[in-house]
Amino acid sequence: MDEMQEIMEDFLVEAFEMIEQLDQDLVELESNPDDLELLNKIFRVAHTIKGSGSFLNLDVLTRLTHHMEDILNKARKGELKITPDIMDVILESVDMMKALLENIRDNGTDVTDDIDIEPVVAKLDAISQGKDLSEAAPSEPKEQKEETVEVAEEDELTEEDYANMSPEEIEAEIERLIQKRAEEDRARREAKKKQQQSGASDNSTENKETQEKKEDEKKPSTPAPAPKAETKSAPKKEEKKAVPAKKVSTVEQTIRVDVNRLDNLMNLIGELVLSKNRLIKIYNDVEERYEGEHFLDELNQVVSSISIVTTDLQIAVMKTRMLQIGKVFNKFPRVIRDLSRELGKKVNLIIKGEETELDKSIIEEIGDPLMHMIRNSVDHGIEPPEERVKLGKPEVGTVELKAYNEGNQIVIEIADDGKGMDPEVLKQKALEKGIISEKEADMMSDKEAFMLIFKAGFSTAAKVTNVSGRGVGMDVVKTNVEKLNGIIEVDSEPGKGSVFKIKIPLTLAIIQALLVSAQEELFAVPLANVIETVRITLEDISTVEGKSVLKLRDEVLPLVNMSDIFKIEKILGVNQYLYVVVLGVGASKVGLIVDGLIGQEEIVIKSLGEYLKGIKGIAGATIRGDGKVTLIVDVAALMKLAKETHSKTVVTATIETKKKKEKPEDYVILIVDDSNTDRKIMKKSIEPLGFTIKEATNGEEALNILKNDSNIDAALVDIEMPKMDGYTLAQEIRKYNRFKNLPLIAVTSRTTKSDRVRGVEVGMNEYITKPYTPEYLANVLKRNLKLS
Amino acid sequence: MSNQLQNVIKQQQEQNSNIATEAKDENIVQLVGFIVGNEEFAVPILSIQEIIKPIEWTKVPFTDDFVLGVFNLRGNVLPLIDLRKKFGASEAEFDDDVRFIVIKVGDELAGFVIDRLTEALRIEENSILPPPDTSMERDAMIEGIARKDDRIITILKVNALLKLNNE
Repeated sequence: MDEMQEIMEDFLVEAFEMIEQLDQDLVELESNPDDLELLNKIFRVAHTIKGSGSFLNLDVLTRLTHHMEDILNKARKGELKITPDIMDVILESVDMMKALLENIRDNGTDVTDDIDIEPVVAKLDAISQGKDLSEAAPSEPKEQKEETVEVAEEDELTEEDYANMSPEEIEAEIERLIQKRAEEDRARREAKKKQQQSGASDNSTENKETQEKKEDEKKPSTPAPAPKAETKSAPKKEEKKAVPAKKVSTVEQTIRVDVNRLDNLMNLIGELVLSKNRLIKIYNDVEERYEGEHFLDELNQVVSSISIVTTDLQIAVMKTRMLQIGKVFNKFPRVIRDLSRELGKKVNLIIKGEETELDKSIIEEIGDPLMHMIRNSVDHGIEPPEERVKLGKPEVGTVELKAYNEGNQIVIEIADDGKGMDPEVLKQKALEKGIISEKEADMMSDKEAFMLIFKAGFSTAAKVTNVSGRGVGMDVVKTNVEKLNGIIEVDSEPGKGSVFKIKIPLTLAIIQALLVSAQEELFAVPLANVIETVRITLEDISTVEGKSVLKLRDEVLPLVNMSDIFKIEKILGVNQYLYVVVLGVGASKVGLIVDGLIGQEEIVIKSLGEYLKGIKGIAGATIRGDGKVTLIVDVAALMKLAKETHSKTVVTATIETKKKKEKPEDYVILIVDDSNTDRKIMKKSIEPLGFTIKEATNGEEALNILKNDSNIDAALVDIEMPKMDGYTLAQEIRKYNRFKNLPLIAVTSRTTKSDRVRGVEVGMNEYITKPYTPEYLANVLKRNLKLS
Repeated sequence: MSNQLQNVIKQQQEQNSNIATEAKDENIVQLVGFIVGNEEFAVPILSIQEIIKPIEWTKVPFTDDFVLGVFNLRGNVLPLIDLRKKFGASEAEFDDDVRFIVIKVGDELAGFVIDRLTEALRIEENSILPPPDTSMERDAMIEGIARKDDRIITILKVNALLKLNNE
């Protein structure tokens, strides 16, 4: 049964693709009813689905397509003119085909109680017999008569169909039929095999056989007599010869690949990108240490060529996952057509940039939001024809759907020339519904006012139609776009129309991120959501209703400290300057205060696993060049958290004032030396002054003490130590934001100039050589602690 | 012919004896013992992927305090759980004996911080006692109690180690 399953799956993939095309072609046909080529194309699609359906015993589907094909055939021969009413019926039957196919996909059969094709079949019949639609009624006896006609017609049609197939299609068809035959017709299998073997050298014989077999399928009651094939053999041969010349040039060079394989490939590339980042980091370290060495040039070349190739490879693999957005756009002509007929409006849809490519996973997600926005444009945007004429606009409204690339993002624009939106009206409406407060309304810019339409429970439609205006929808659109890390922008002018812009990143697996620090923790923020970064002073922060805000140009941003959001303990003092990352998701913006901006990096998103999944504000993790794990911020969720935090905390109020220290007794000094004697000497020199002393015997121990005890005020460090020497210790200490200003005093017997230089390089504040006088050490220490 | 027959019989005998030894092995549980706080625990040796020295980890917000964060094990991001905090043992610094045990739970890997390893244990299955009947929270994590010499070893349920935290 596996083979059958495979055939069925192939059929479904093919059928869905064809039907999508069918929709589009039919709408086009309506505006060009005389386009014979188009008609032929549509006819062929219907015919192919019917033919394949009948092999697979999909009787309901076959019956429906057969009746539809009838009409198309008449139209093709000029016996019937396609009117909008007839088109409605045809489109209805296409919808039903879709429903049936979906049912087949889900349940494996087209027999279902949910879908009743009879009314549609009756309508189709009425049309094909030239009757008025209203007279149509299902009548069983007539159906049966039709059935016999169908069989008579079949041969002729089948021949035409084969003539229009490309050689590949014919081959595929043959393959399929042979498999099918083998599966279904075990009794005749032996004889069949012999026939195949004898005719294997001659394609046309095979073709003839399949032809004959096809007839078998259609008339299952009549067993296929072998001699019949002989008689038909000659004409079929001629037909086969004619085929290749006709269609060979249009064959596309594509293969179907399992998406899982591509995903796997993408994962591998992800690993490679991580290694590349790591290599670059190591190179930078090496460059610092061995400056001017000859081998650096060579290393540099290798590193940069690997980095270029990796990037190219990444792009190439990304491209294999790319699909043209036309796949989504193709649905919309039909949508617009149906909508405008339903609403009595006249709308022309212009599609541009359908060749723009997007990642498959995004294509799958973007369809619904777009559909909703297009419906919205037609329903709310475009005015009825009479009104448009009155306003001096062209009677037919225009909706423009446009896609284009902009840097690492793709922009989808939906523009209409309808009535536009009035920001004041929107504000008023939001006030009435209690979505915003009076004060907020006053402070709102026009752009912010447009964004109100994305709030839950907001609808500007005066009356609720079944198209839109139920108050759900636009907020769902926003959520869906945000899920894709995208943002929405709206611009509108009353009387002229509105423009909606959706900006989404090209791919989801590897992203550009801004690395920021909150206290000692690093976080990666997807760059797609970073609008800008600014440096502000404490005075720039103003307070509105007890909440911190930042006035940035003509906007007022809510300000939240990242450490507050993630409840990170504050260990850093406050600098005069604060860094603010302005985040944008969908329509809203927030200013995020961070303690440092590290830089921009390409990161690979990794999941945190089952156990830690669903943590608020965290989208995943990435492994950086140094092998450390950095968390990736889920900006949409972070903004939500930010709003909760914002109402609770005033940024400036949470900043702790450190206890003032004036006497030596207030200070804790860490002495790091592997020699017990040396530690004693140091201790003796400074302890009498009143300092509290802590001791460590090597760098590692010292680092651990520092990490666990934030009260250390200064450290005296020996250079030569086991496990971790003083230089490394200083380097490690300086990596922490909170130790940036910790006084580090080297106390050593290394006296050469290069040792001193090295000491300064790694971040020592002072360099004392042994032996020293106790007074000297105490003075240096006091100076560094700013003790008089 | 008779040679062949003999061979077949021999093979069968060999197989039988194999089964016998296997059956004997089934009664022995192999465990890895370790210390957390003042107690000795053990987990089945087959559930352990590897044991590593402590490496750097990254804190994760909004988690229980026994979840130290996540760490990088050759390109995979794994959660790190401090068993001392989870079992309510007093906090101690990381000394040289501290290890991360990487345990496979279902399809998921996770690292657990322990104070020090003791030894690989072979314990007869029927000498393992059921967990004592108290209503302590961590009982859900206990598979049974084993005695070795005069030590008492608590055998942990690997599945429960991760599951409990989700609730």
